[in-house]
Amino acid sequence: MALNRKIAYINLTTGEIDIKPIPLDVRKRFLGGRGLDAYLLYNHTKEGCDPLGPDNALIISGGILTATCASATARTHVMAKSPLTGLLGSANMGGFFAPEMAWAGFHHLVITGRAKKPVYLFIHNGEIEIRDAANVWGKTTTETQWAIRKELGDEEVKACVIGPAGENLVTFANVMTGIKNAAGRTGMGAVMGSKNLKAVAARGTMDIKIAHPVEAFEYNKQFIDQITSAKVNQTQGALGTPFIWGATNSWGGLRTHNFKYNQLEYADDIEPERLDEIATETIGPYHMTGCFGCQVHCRAQYRIPSGPLAGKYDEGPEYTSQGAFGAEIGCRSAETVLTGNHLVDQFGMDNLEVGSLISWAMELYEEGIITDKQTDGLDLRFGNDEAALEMVRRIAYREGFVADALADGGIPASKKFGKNSFDYLIQVKGMSNLHSDERATPALALNVATSSRGSDHLRSRPAIDLYHLPEKVLRKIFGSPIPYDGPLNSEHTSYEGKAWMVFWQENVYMGVDCLGICKYHTTFLGATLPNFEDWPKVVYYNTGLEFTPEELWTIAERGNMVERMFNLREGLKRNDPAKGDTLNHRYFDEPCRRGAPDVIGLSIDQEKFNGMVDEFYKYKGLDKNGRPTQKTLKRLGLENEPSHLV
Amino acid sequence: MAIKGGKQSTAASLRKTRTFGKIRCHNPSCMERIIPEPGSEHAKCPTCGMEYRLFWVNDNLPRIRGPVWDVNREIAEKTFADKQAATIKKTGKKGGK
Repeated sequence: MALNRKIAYINLTTGEIDIKPIPLDVRKRFLGGRGLDAYLLYNHTKEGCDPLGPDNALIISGGILTATCASATARTHVMAKSPLTGLLGSANMGGFFAPEMAWAGFHHLVITGRAKKPVYLFIHNGEIEIRDAANVWGKTTTETQWAIRKELGDEEVKACVIGPAGENLVTFANVMTGIKNAAGRTGMGAVMGSKNLKAVAARGTMDIKIAHPVEAFEYNKQFIDQITSAKVNQTQGALGTPFIWGATNSWGGLRTHNFKYNQLEYADDIEPERLDEIATETIGPYHMTGCFGCQVHCRAQYRIPSGPLAGKYDEGPEYTSQGAFGAEIGCRSAETVLTGNHLVDQFGMDNLEVGSLISWAMELYEEGIITDKQTDGLDLRFGNDEAALEMVRRIAYREGFVADALADGGIPASKKFGKNSFDYLIQVKGMSNLHSDERATPALALNVATSSRGSDHLRSRPAIDLYHLPEKVLRKIFGSPIPYDGPLNSEHTSYEGKAWMVFWQENVYMGVDCLGICKYHTTFLGATLPNFEDWPKVVYYNTGLEFTPEELWTIAERGNMVERMFNLREGLKRNDPAKGDTLNHRYFDEPCRRGAPDVIGLSIDQEKFNGMVDEFYKYKGLDKNGRPTQKTLKRLGLENEPSHLV
Repeated sequence: MAIKGGKQSTAASLRKTRTFGKIRCHNPSCMERIIPEPGSEHAKCPTCGMEYRLFWVNDNLPRIRGPVWDVNREIAEKTFADKQAATIKKTGKKGGK
């Protein structure tokens, strides 16, 4: 059954492998996936450890529901101390790896140490081998996966791997599986690279016994209907995640030219409908595909239509690549977006970080802070597609002063570039913001400021705040499973009630990450998708564990609090511009210049923003400095951490 | 307990509130419901005047592809200038850099 999947502790320095069960009381406190990973990280790393040193623990996991009869349990989670931020590293990807690892007998891997030479792990039916990776070191992400399959003589092997960027310790290198599935924030690929670990391959045929199989199947039919009938998922199935970019650009919620504007006008060539046309032209009408056990199929397959890499196959692009290789750098070419997407996939780099840092460098170049000499003559002005794509390659291989500096991440690079370069860097906790512009949306601004892994949308973004839902509908959604009778406001330009929304959403996302289910199957983009009230059934039918919605909420709160404790231990301070719950000054000082009429002129009101942070802390049970009170720790059963239960 | 009984969850109960064949204006304080002609490629908000290009996911599901850019720019530039002027009049300072 799902609950008998094991945890393996692998020391790459000594070669020791210790396989243990996951105690039931630990399951009941953290479920699995990200929540349990946070607990493991807090317990298996020491304060101040070097993110790229042997003492950092790299944790790879599936959720408690992975590979059961529940829908869309494809997610693989990767966690470690981040080399990009020095705080929590956490990234999550779809594909097929986590289910294969579960069929091979494991839910969590805790990898420490550093191998003397490049190695990869092979996990198969309860056993783990450390194998020589000399033949795959230096290869791209897909070349590595195909080579491992060939070496092992099994086309069904699934692997999560690093590319050249991870080997070169680019601090925002991805762990990847398949063509484009990327655990792509906070530099988990660099942590793998630092351990000389090129890949983790899995192949399993160990059945997972379902606790109540008939009920599990029957309930999953309802679950699937709830998922596939949602308008947002019908749109995803037609256009993929690029539809999000299109909608956001339409009203002026995208950051473009680093942070100068909030809408890329006349961007028809990179709108989702155009990308869909290219996928149809190069692959055919049925070009959408999906991850394990998913019915949404939000991922397009395509070939690059033109340019030097014309004909190359890839998948996506996600909306993040439209941001990275379109709006942020001021490019309007589908060829550039699709090529950039392909390059980061092959090199194994975070498209969000790459696009953001290149756009930052472009603004610095235009401001004269970076010089031609420093770029080796590369004209880094906004809208120079070729220069942007060349920078992608240079960053992956750390070629030249500017690219090598960027490969260390924004804050270290700002020290090398000097002058007031840091003022232009749009980051939180050392991680670049995604491609959205939150100046018109206080809830989303609070989300990026307080997200546990640095500026991010997938840790606490209440995206349905944008839908102008009536207050009575908002009360139903945000008043469950924990009663809430405070303020709520349908206007997404309002500050009222937004702190609760962010707190609520933070728990939803932790919940779904512990289960191992994709976020498109919960309240992220659609208000009618399952969350705490729906999950007890799917957990019970598949695992036999009984929880109330309120208990699952508390588990999610606990997981988020452990992440907070890790960050505090590693130096998070509320108002620290490099490691705090705050925003770049431009959010407060520069109003939006583009977009819908009511967006223009908006910026974040600093006083109101501070009030939201206070309120958010109160809901989480933190003091004014953002530290958990003893009462909160006791309520969540965390007063004795680290407790070393596993 | 939630596992037993036939009570719908909040998320499931909200399914009946879904609307098809309509879009919402993207202007934040407007958000007017617009019912475009089936298959039409453009729609104009009757309340605030924003004009949009449309894409049809299926026969019942239109979405806004983006604004009509020329109209969007004209409105944006006028709005920004008006708001800047109003801010200067009120505070004597520009509303930002």
